[in-house]
Amino acid sequence: MSIVDAIRADAAGLLQTGRAKLVLGYRNRQGRRAPILLADAAGADQLVYDAECRQNLAAYLRKPEVRQQFPVAVVAGPPVMRSLVMLSAESQIPAGAVTVLAVGENEYHGALDLAATAQLLREKYADPAPDEELLRRVREVAAMSEEERAAFWTEQFSKCTRCHACRSACPGCYCQWCISKRNVPQWISTADLSHGTFAWNITRAFHHAGRCTLCGACEAACPQGLPLMLLNACVAECVEKEFGHRTGYDLEEKPLIGSWRPEDDDGFVR
Amino acid sequence: MKLLRADRLAELAAALAARGYRVIAPIRQGRIVRLAEWRPGAAIETAGISANSVKDFLFPRSEIIDRYSLNGGDFVQKEVTPEAIKTVALAVRPCDAGSVSVLDTVFNWDSNDAFYNARREACTVVSLACVRADEHCFCTSVGGSPGSSEGADAVLRAAGGGEQLIFEPLTPKGRALAEAAGGALAEGEAAADPVAEIPLRFDIKAVRDWLAGNFESPLWQEFASACLGCGACAYACPSCHCFDMQDESNRKESVRYRNWDSCGLALFTLHTSGHNPRSTQTARWRQRVMHKLSYIPQRFNLTACMGCGRCSRLCPNGLAISETCEKIARLCKANHEGGTP
Amino acid sequence: MEKTETIAENARAGFEPRIVAFVCNWCTYAGADLAGTSRLQYAPNVRILKLPCTGRIDPLLVLKAFEGGADAVLVSGCHPGDCHYTSGNYHARRRWSVFGKLLAFAGIDGRRLYFSWVSAAEGQKFADLINSITKEVRSAGPFDPVNPARRRT
Repeated sequence: MSIVDAIRADAAGLLQTGRAKLVLGYRNRQGRRAPILLADAAGADQLVYDAECRQNLAAYLRKPEVRQQFPVAVVAGPPVMRSLVMLSAESQIPAGAVTVLAVGENEYHGALDLAATAQLLREKYADPAPDEELLRRVREVAAMSEEERAAFWTEQFSKCTRCHACRSACPGCYCQWCISKRNVPQWISTADLSHGTFAWNITRAFHHAGRCTLCGACEAACPQGLPLMLLNACVAECVEKEFGHRTGYDLEEKPLIGSWRPEDDDGFVR
Repeated sequence: MKLLRADRLAELAAALAARGYRVIAPIRQGRIVRLAEWRPGAAIETAGISANSVKDFLFPRSEIIDRYSLNGGDFVQKEVTPEAIKTVALAVRPCDAGSVSVLDTVFNWDSNDAFYNARREACTVVSLACVRADEHCFCTSVGGSPGSSEGADAVLRAAGGGEQLIFEPLTPKGRALAEAAGGALAEGEAAADPVAEIPLRFDIKAVRDWLAGNFESPLWQEFASACLGCGACAYACPSCHCFDMQDESNRKESVRYRNWDSCGLALFTLHTSGHNPRSTQTARWRQRVMHKLSYIPQRFNLTACMGCGRCSRLCPNGLAISETCEKIARLCKANHEGGTP
Repeated sequence: MEKTETIAENARAGFEPRIVAFVCNWCTYAGADLAGTSRLQYAPNVRILKLPCTGRIDPLLVLKAFEGGADAVLVSGCHPGDCHYTSGNYHARRRWSVFGKLLAFAGIDGRRLYFSWVSAAEGQKFADLINSITKEVRSAGPFDPVNPARRRT
């Protein structure tokens, strides 16, 4: 049985037996892949899965329309699995609410609960192959002088229209009151001018320190082609080097920025 | 008639720039084609459609509409003159040109928007008829066409198998532009190449009838299920026009911005009390479709969707006005014919 | 190299950096106070904002300072172990570690953003710190032309 057939069979089974009231997966749409939320087992034959599936379906778990349908099943590759584990660690997923239809690089691991998913990640996907192209782009920016970097980001952020597609696409962005919405006081300008776009994009990248799984959904969603993954990779690299932290492998993981150790590095402090 | 070689569009741009026009044209920027200010050396992309639309230059993403200062006890309002740079939007798609009619109507509805009108009057729209379309285009389904001259001051049409462009001025602004182009346009005769064939994707009348009677339909939840509520579609859409006012102040000065807003965002209808009349994404997606295909048509006899397909291309989650309309139309057809769709 | 530096210094003659310092009430602010009561001279370029604890310092405050035109920002608090609220500075330390690197990557690096531990007894350290930071920022020059976070309207 192919991976896709296995996913379809499990999805249909879960819906038929009521073990899931909704299956979140991917469908074909005009040559690309788009999310589909299935309530009916008959629709399971629309499900597909391949490397083109770039949306992070864990983002849908913040939607009331989805939460009202718990328990649900989510078709998930390793980055999405890690996001689900992260969300559970942050108390966003009630126990038993999510079954993972776990897909790896070349195999289907079946319908798993979150504990089994976390274990699978630790056993089989603990060392994801680094994205060499992304790392190359990060090095390129890091090698620039401060002025060149400032000019680079000023130009990149000038394209930002503050549509917040990045935020919508991200499973970690589940705050009902996003800081960019707060207007008493207006912390982040809503204009598309330099001070607003810089603050928005930097703040969002920072808020995902220790929570981002580098799934790439934000950059894929951005209609203006902003290189958002550069910011996320910078933060992820720092988080791994400084704190040995990689997100989404442990249901009990403590939030990175919300916790501390006495031996945390402070070599940069005068 | 006026002609120019298709590979000499940049010369037309240069001639217009030399006569004081700010030239906006589709320019490749990395992996995206964007309508942007043309500079010598930039190649104008005539295939495909830009990620942004002419709207950006008539109704910008953020605009300062007022400035205030507080000097001691004196509150002073400073005059903000609407910007009116002489502009030509060159080689934009006919769907973009058509959207200008929608924006003209909305921004002159019950008051005349000085900021929009200043930019509008200073802008000459030159569309380029489409000889190709992609799978996301659906202008013909909403009353448009790839060769439409609606909203344009002049139209460029491919001729001679794409080697030439016919320049057809339609309005006084278009004729003024032809005159300014000078030698960049030559006299000659050519027959326009056929425009793209864009099959009808849905019956707009059936869709409108369904919309008028199905506000409470449970189907809206299914149509909206994949929507995560960002503003990508509304911001890319050439005819979307909603905005928000924001004051940014310190103790001495205040600037009032008018920024784009999207009915897809949860914050759009959130009251200070905390109540949100459109509290679900279902309600928000329904609003988007109804506004563009039901409310605006009822009020102004205009369709506020141009069928440009940008929402379809840009939505990260595969939603599009066209897809919702296709689903509605299929449903109507099935009901009409009996049996399941 | 020396010649370039001299030229740069001349070009920046007259440039007085504007430095914003977010400090904690119990340690650094008290240390700054001590510097004052001890009549230690330090550069007048710094504007001190007092907060109860470095743990309260939201990275957005730092961005606001750059938005408003600061040439540099200093964030300073109690030494690890000495926080009046026990662990506020530990939270801050972790935050700064990540945020500092992110800002550096985005074009606001170590010449513009400084962190320190200054206790209530370290009046001299505070004075020396302000003097050396002011000197470094003066030679880095005005941040305005390139500052990516600057408000420009």
